[in-house]
Amino acid sequence: MGSLLRNQKARNALLQAVFVGALGSLVIAGALIAQQNMAAQGITSGFDFLFKPTGWEVTFSLLPAKPTDPYWWYFLIGIINTLFLGAFGLVTATIVGTVVGLARTSSNDLARLLGRSYVDVFRNIPLILQVFFWNALITHLPPPREAHEAWGFALTSRGLYVPILNVHGLAFAGAMVALLAAIVLPIWLGRTARLGSPPEQRRPLQLAAAILALACAVLILFLGRLPDTALMNVPALRGLNLQGGLRVPPEFTALVVAIAIYGGSYIAEIVRGGFKAVGRGQVEAANSLGLTPWQVFSRVRLPLALRAMLPILANQYVWLMKATTLGIAVGFADFFMIVALTINHSGQTLEAIGILMAGFLIINLSLAALFNRINKAIALKGNQLRG
Amino acid sequence: MATLAQSPNPDIALRIEGMNKYFGNFHALRNIDLTVTRGEKIVVCGPSGSGKSTMIRCINRLEEHNSGRIVVLGTELNDDVGNIDEIRREVGMVFQHFNLFPHMSVLENCVLAPMLVRKLPRQQAEEMALRFLEKVRIPEQASKYPGQLSGGQQQRVAIARALCMQPQIMLFDEPTSALDPEMISEVLDVMVTLAADGMTMICVTHEMGFARRVADRVIFMDRGEIIEEAPPETFFTASRNERTRQFLSQILNH
Repeated sequence: MGSLLRNQKARNALLQAVFVGALGSLVIAGALIAQQNMAAQGITSGFDFLFKPTGWEVTFSLLPAKPTDPYWWYFLIGIINTLFLGAFGLVTATIVGTVVGLARTSSNDLARLLGRSYVDVFRNIPLILQVFFWNALITHLPPPREAHEAWGFALTSRGLYVPILNVHGLAFAGAMVALLAAIVLPIWLGRTARLGSPPEQRRPLQLAAAILALACAVLILFLGRLPDTALMNVPALRGLNLQGGLRVPPEFTALVVAIAIYGGSYIAEIVRGGFKAVGRGQVEAANSLGLTPWQVFSRVRLPLALRAMLPILANQYVWLMKATTLGIAVGFADFFMIVALTINHSGQTLEAIGILMAGFLIINLSLAALFNRINKAIALKGNQLRG
Repeated sequence: MATLAQSPNPDIALRIEGMNKYFGNFHALRNIDLTVTRGEKIVVCGPSGSGKSTMIRCINRLEEHNSGRIVVLGTELNDDVGNIDEIRREVGMVFQHFNLFPHMSVLENCVLAPMLVRKLPRQQAEEMALRFLEKVRIPEQASKYPGQLSGGQQQRVAIARALCMQPQIMLFDEPTSALDPEMISEVLDVMVTLAADGMTMICVTHEMGFARRVADRVIFMDRGEIIEEAPPETFFTASRNERTRQFLSQILNH
């Protein structure tokens, strides 16, 4: 026994077993106590509530929703809303961050000063404050009767009105998929090794694929047109309110703008760092070969900077995804808000929070896994790099 | 002023007249005068900080000179972007730290500029790249990435990359200083072959054996000035300049 305790491997195994055992009993004890307390309050624990109707309305949904729908359907709506908000927030934050980050690395003094002021201001104001600010700004816009209108868009206190096509929702989704294929398919055709031909001889094939996918998109839209309507559904004033078009609620707009501006200030610093990490030598070599400034940027600086940025960017994206939970502050029905309402109405606190945590874990672990794959695919090969 | 640009002597590859360069208050280059004829091999040496690298970096505008004139292959180097591009197309450069593009294969490194700048079709550019990779004796590494090669191999790729633009002048900025000793000769051998082919070369190097073998002239610089200019035999054995002799004794007797 004494000699077994002195064995390094045996000692490690024992320590780990004790730790796992202690942690396990803690979790089990917690669960038992919680169950007892809930039973005392007359709440049955478990996930049966998921199949009961909610009895309340959800304020924003991309899927059909009514109070007779069960809780699991509302959770799905919440996750989709969170992903929708996150997608808009991440894309716009990336655009803002890239522009500001490039301004910060520019050789132009004014651009650098503007970029720096931007980062200094927006990075140092709490995100929740910025969400409140934009929400207040939008809800204080003029009412629909005096809306600011341009190209069919209207900005009012009731939200942003956007013109849409008069097509069936499913047809619109199908057309979006076809549009995506028009971008992805040519890229895939240019890279796949399955076609024997050298990549630069595939131009006609790529062009044909893109045109075919675009034609599919147009066809789907045409077939999905709502009968007896104009092609475009433009918001127009009827009485005291705007009719037609798509209304983007103020809280959604406020959240996207706040995440874009706040996240953009962090991403700008990541972009700046990425470009700073590019070796001066590589840029000089590209210059000495006679490449134009744009070619030096697109062929050398950007690809190398991207590789330096990606791991930190992934971190930032995960962070911003979590920041979408601020939706509850302005009443946007994201996953967090739906879970909070569920707790109020059903009392199933632990179960609902468990689902919320699992949902965010799945979203963010998938995001991280995606970035790890991209990172590995484009990593610089070899370890003999100097200078 | 006009005499130089308007009546270019076709035999002259490079002419520098009264060039000065400052880094802030630091006077890095003082009244540099240098003429290089086509096919000439120049070795530039001198203690560190003497301005050797700065001088050759001025020739393709990696550094901007503050006064004086530089005329490369009949084109005046000034703020005219067209002139700078024209000169960079005809002047190749090899760096101390190779500066290959680490995200591109060896072949991609070599075809990038010919395709973008000279507008060669890919097939033609690749054929030429393979020819030059053979010349620097590493055609078998074409599909590898810079990080998978040794320092000596990387530097030879860098030479091939510069040659793929078919330059008329080659600048070498301490091409062997970052190499392990056993890799120096493989790079120098390539440079000797290049010299034998008649390339106009300006090399900043401390490889005095190389200077003896290929240089037509050795230029000694100190504190931003050209101190001495002489054929290698005279330079190494019969220099009457105090600073040259001191420098030579430091690098030859260790």
